[in-house]
Amino acid sequence: MKPNVMLSALACSFLLAGMSSSAVAQRATLTVNSWGGAYEKLHKQLIFEPFEKANNVKINVVTVYSADTLAQLRAQKAAPQYDVVHFSGGQEVVAAREGLIAPINAEELPNAANLYPFAKEGMSRGEGPVHLVTAIGLLYNEKKVKNPPKSWKDLWKPEYGDHLVLTDLSNSYGLLGFLMMNKVWGGSIENTKPGLDKVRELLDRSTIISSSPEIQQNFAQNDAWVAAFSQDYAHVVRQGGQPVKFVMAEEGTPAVFFTANLVAGRPNQALAKKLIDFSLSPEVQAAFAREMRYSPTNRLAKLDPAVASEVVYGDAVNGLVRFDPAQVDANRTALVESWKKLIAR
Amino acid sequence: MASHREDWAIAAPGLLLLLLAFLVPVGSILALGVRTEGGEFTPAYVIRFLTEPYYLGISWRTIKLSVVITLVCALVGFPFAYIMARVGPRLRLWLVILITLPLMTSVVVRTFGWMVLLGRGGLVPDIMRSLGLVRRNYTLMHTEVAIVVGMVQILFPFMVLSILGVILRMDPRLEEAARVMGCTFLQSVRRVVLPVATPGIVAGSLLVFTLSASYFITPSLLGGARLPVLAGSIYETATRTQDWPFAAAQSLILFTAVLLLLFPYIRLTRKAGG
Amino acid sequence: MVEAVPTGVRAAAVIFMLLVLAFVLGPLVVVAGVSFTAGDYVTFPPEGLSLRWYRAVLSADVYTHSAITSLRLAALVTLAATVIGTGVAVALHRRRIPGTGFLSALVLSPLVLPTIVFALGLLMLWSSVVGRTSFYSLWLGHTVIAVPYVIRTTLAVLATSDPFLEEAARTMGAGPWRTLFHVTLPQCLPGIAAGGFFAFNISFDEAILSLFLRSPDIMTLPIQIYTQLEFSPDPSIAAASALMIALTIFLIVAIDRLLGIQRVAA
Repeated sequence: MKPNVMLSALACSFLLAGMSSSAVAQRATLTVNSWGGAYEKLHKQLIFEPFEKANNVKINVVTVYSADTLAQLRAQKAAPQYDVVHFSGGQEVVAAREGLIAPINAEELPNAANLYPFAKEGMSRGEGPVHLVTAIGLLYNEKKVKNPPKSWKDLWKPEYGDHLVLTDLSNSYGLLGFLMMNKVWGGSIENTKPGLDKVRELLDRSTIISSSPEIQQNFAQNDAWVAAFSQDYAHVVRQGGQPVKFVMAEEGTPAVFFTANLVAGRPNQALAKKLIDFSLSPEVQAAFAREMRYSPTNRLAKLDPAVASEVVYGDAVNGLVRFDPAQVDANRTALVESWKKLIAR
Repeated sequence: MASHREDWAIAAPGLLLLLLAFLVPVGSILALGVRTEGGEFTPAYVIRFLTEPYYLGISWRTIKLSVVITLVCALVGFPFAYIMARVGPRLRLWLVILITLPLMTSVVVRTFGWMVLLGRGGLVPDIMRSLGLVRRNYTLMHTEVAIVVGMVQILFPFMVLSILGVILRMDPRLEEAARVMGCTFLQSVRRVVLPVATPGIVAGSLLVFTLSASYFITPSLLGGARLPVLAGSIYETATRTQDWPFAAAQSLILFTAVLLLLFPYIRLTRKAGG
Repeated sequence: MVEAVPTGVRAAAVIFMLLVLAFVLGPLVVVAGVSFTAGDYVTFPPEGLSLRWYRAVLSADVYTHSAITSLRLAALVTLAATVIGTGVAVALHRRRIPGTGFLSALVLSPLVLPTIVFALGLLMLWSSVVGRTSFYSLWLGHTVIAVPYVIRTTLAVLATSDPFLEEAARTMGAGPWRTLFHVTLPQCLPGIAAGGFFAFNISFDEAILSLFLRSPDIMTLPIQIYTQLEFSPDPSIAAASALMIALTIFLIVAIDRLLGIQRVAA
């Protein structure tokens, strides 16, 4: 009996070893979230790694989607663990309202002076600045589609058969795409009936996806022809060898805004702001455009002509259709619920 | 009387853990479902759920699928466990290993194996097409069948091991005795083995039923956005629309419904088993 | 007793077992097949054969580190859950504590709720009482959801045990603790073992709870795989899973060679 007890005690101490000591850090540490995949790789390469070197700081990157990040922030309110959080689905509106993120004064960020007005508009409400934008439009397979779609209404053309891909509204790309369809059919954020009624006509001919990587699978394996999705993923799918092109529909192009936000109640706020400012710099934004076709929000960002032709850029960024995030947030629950009712079998 | 104190002593760590680390935190979340922002009692969220055909439909699907999954697991699990109990110990061990191997791989990955098998152009639709049963482009993905198939594979070992545990403890001579007394093979299984195995089947069914009602990764991956189940709806409500009170109300309903179903079940089988 | 089973029944039994095994193992075969693909996509049958995804997994620290974290966590959870769960099961089985029927249903309750609800609740409580999350919050959360498995399996085994054995031991003069350790617990062993096995696997496989209760510097294998699949699905996930399957089989064979498998199984 005795040796067994000894052995178990030894085994336990091995299992526990090193688990508590990791909190002791010698350098300053910032904890941030990113969204995995190709985006996170780029995020690390273009922002986190250079920033770590330049400022002798360690950046802890946690892979979590925006929505889960907000849920965590809320549950951890008593002891927050992130320093900077990135959102893509308008979660900054909720986070600011609930005091989970701290307001930043535009003067505290040197690069904020050169942002387009829409990118710093939310800062007055206590949100972080918009550092990247991705346009929402139509993706189509060049080899399969004879008449490329030009307008949002083209999604309803019978010639695309049952090769359509729609995106669930739990995904921010899906939400923005739907709001635009609703708009072209005469609806508004408060009145989504026109859009919902039209989407009902498409249900039997489309695949509905929830997470963004599924768009790639659908073009690669499920014989998708046309989808309403984003410019960054169009690039990813194309890099993956699929003959997919992105078009901006003629009625207008909505966009998803990526914000960088300062978490309230954390030490090292000065450093966190510096990191946010770094993500606003023209060089970093130009690199994001080059690598994954994101639109810069800093008007000083200079793009190569080849890149510029594939990215909404310059004053055109200001011309993107913008659905008021506060208004979207106020209607989100009702909208998502009626969408779910619509698509449920 | 001293023995009662001993019972309390051995149960205390578990009951305290349940109270402090489960009931208290979960209770504080669930309370959101019946309280206004000001902290007063309100049944509004629960009523919203109960009066909305969409949510009742989700609940119905959840119950229906859980029952089907439990039945399939029990119907296949009992003969499987019985045969396992009657083969040599070495083969039995390997069978245990084989059916539990799926547990050693992530749920997500197993599910993903099914996506490849059941999806458009996958093995199963291909076979069905060559048999002339379905059209080209037929897919089993995003159907209730896919959810049942995926969940049964995951929960099957829970059923089998629960039953195996009790059959193994049974004296095999009982069965021989029944045979000697003139029972056929199937009769002896039904009259002798089945009653002994009942507590195991009950324990297994409880596990399988409750787990299938609360799992959401597999149903959402295999069923897709158009076949929501209650657990998935709770996850989406809590994280996507951030409507915690309504997520809490949905959880409260799931929690109460399953407990209500479980309680008489435990009683019933206690009587049958005792 | 095997002789008494008719040949037809035996043949049917063999076919039945094979079919069930094919069903249970099918997806794993797919995963293993995908892992050898030479292409960039998850396809089955694989496009060409290569070991590139194995190289990718084994050279990535994220996989090896998270695997070690998950193994440690699962081992500690198993330890805690079996000790705690067995105690509860024995006490409930004796039915001398008032409200046993109610308690029996209640101890199952962690299984009833989707883990997201428990995860949010525990994270809120932990944040306000303890502070930042750590390895210990993970251990606590996993143990809570693992304990019910041990209780259920142990109770099922106890239900078929001989109720007079304990009494006999008492009559012969054994004290309550002696009876517990020398009579009751040995009877429970198959149930404890099955419960422990489940506990290990539940912990090793849990992604959602871990996603919320870990501290930012802890990565478990399921989270790693989940995020990889969710954010950038590539065949490396299949390779990681195939390695886990291979490792499991290897461990079992090693135990067999070293100790003899029957002794462990008994």
